[in-house]
Amino acid sequence: MIRFFFVLVVLIFLSFLFQLFLPPILFLKGASVLIAPAIFFYGCLAFPFPFFLALTFVTGLLNDLFVVPQAVPQIDFPIGTSILIYLIPGLVMHGTRSFFLRYQWGTHFWLAELAAVLTPFLLLAQYAVLSFERGEAFFSDVILWWIFGPGLISIVIAPCVFFILTPLSHLLRYRPGLRGNATA
Amino acid sequence: MKSTTIAALAIFGLLVFLLLMLPPVAKRQMQAALLQLISPIQRTSASIQERLGGVEGGLKRLDQLDQENQRLRLENEQLRTANALLKNLETEVNRLNRALGFQQQSSFRLAPARIISRNTATWWNTCTIDHGKRDGIATDMAVVTEAGLVGKVTTVSDDSSIVLLLSDESLRVSVSIEGTQEQGIISGTRASSNYAPDLRIRFLSKTAAIKPGMKVLTTGTGGVFPAGVTVGAVKDFAVKELEGVATVEPAVDLANVQDVFVIKGQK
Repeated sequence: MIRFFFVLVVLIFLSFLFQLFLPPILFLKGASVLIAPAIFFYGCLAFPFPFFLALTFVTGLLNDLFVVPQAVPQIDFPIGTSILIYLIPGLVMHGTRSFFLRYQWGTHFWLAELAAVLTPFLLLAQYAVLSFERGEAFFSDVILWWIFGPGLISIVIAPCVFFILTPLSHLLRYRPGLRGNATA
Repeated sequence: MKSTTIAALAIFGLLVFLLLMLPPVAKRQMQAALLQLISPIQRTSASIQERLGGVEGGLKRLDQLDQENQRLRLENEQLRTANALLKNLETEVNRLNRALGFQQQSSFRLAPARIISRNTATWWNTCTIDHGKRDGIATDMAVVTEAGLVGKVTTVSDDSSIVLLLSDESLRVSVSIEGTQEQGIISGTRASSNYAPDLRIRFLSKTAAIKPGMKVLTTGTGGVFPAGVTVGAVKDFAVKELEGVATVEPAVDLANVQDVFVIKGQK
């Protein structure tokens, strides 16, 4: 389990790095392609609660270090905020872990789609924090696309990520919920 | 609830609290450390992209000639930028000398840099340049091109730096509109990106005689951006309930700009 945990951490790091080079999808009004959340949501399902919290901490921290500019004195989104933002949908995902442990491809597919549905929440929450800090909230079609567009893209990406990570966990001798995994 | 769950929650809560309480300088240092770690990958990627771009262009040259060409092009842009800044500065100095008797300002020291990565995060518009502490770059230095203002440096690692772009909502710059006495604060909006920049000048007077095409220049207030740097041109002016708001087309193509200059100070 520990080995797979660190593999997921590395994959999340690499996906944040990869995202830096992905241009926004212009026909979706500039919506971003987000891969890291899909890997994070898989981790929420695969790991027991303490490891889920550790993964949330690492993912949220990396998210802020990679994308949030720290321009003094106008820091309106301090590093660490995203940990709390990732925690909420992560808890929802972790709550469905019993379904994940059934090892059915169909169930995994629908859980991947749930991950895609939860992805816009991350952007919506970031937008809410920024709106609160900057004292102004407004919605336009562009903003709605930026919030929900990545979710639409994740509908395709998340199942691919899930169906790659499950064989990978087996390759690393980790089958969640089964005995003897803690030492693997 | 299991004791391990409670312990994990307590540790998690404590770590998040400690992280959020860290001073901004420490957070910047963390970001700089990450930037330093990924900088070689960004440089390699930028180099590959540049080479691929060259192949697409259809013209292949000897490495030596290519390097010479790059150097001369950079030098030319540097001189053009310095010239543009000096012209703007001259106008500003003349105005100040005439109106207030200010002393004549000197020219700028420019450090040429190349954009190695564009951050396409949804709510923030930043890019990474290939110059850092070793090249004398520091936080809050202004970044420009020969066409005008690009942004300011926020995080600096040894070899690279993050630049907050003009299209970002959190970057606010004091500007004036050429040919008028109007001054305001320009910034991007939350729906602004490098691909579709949406810059607004706020706090203008409602009776201002502002017309499309008028040039927008920095005022120098605040000390980060020197006075007289071109920001863009007015596209539209609207009178709101309490203020006048102008929409501005940026002078620099933020989605495609490659070579920039960091203003390290005055000569």
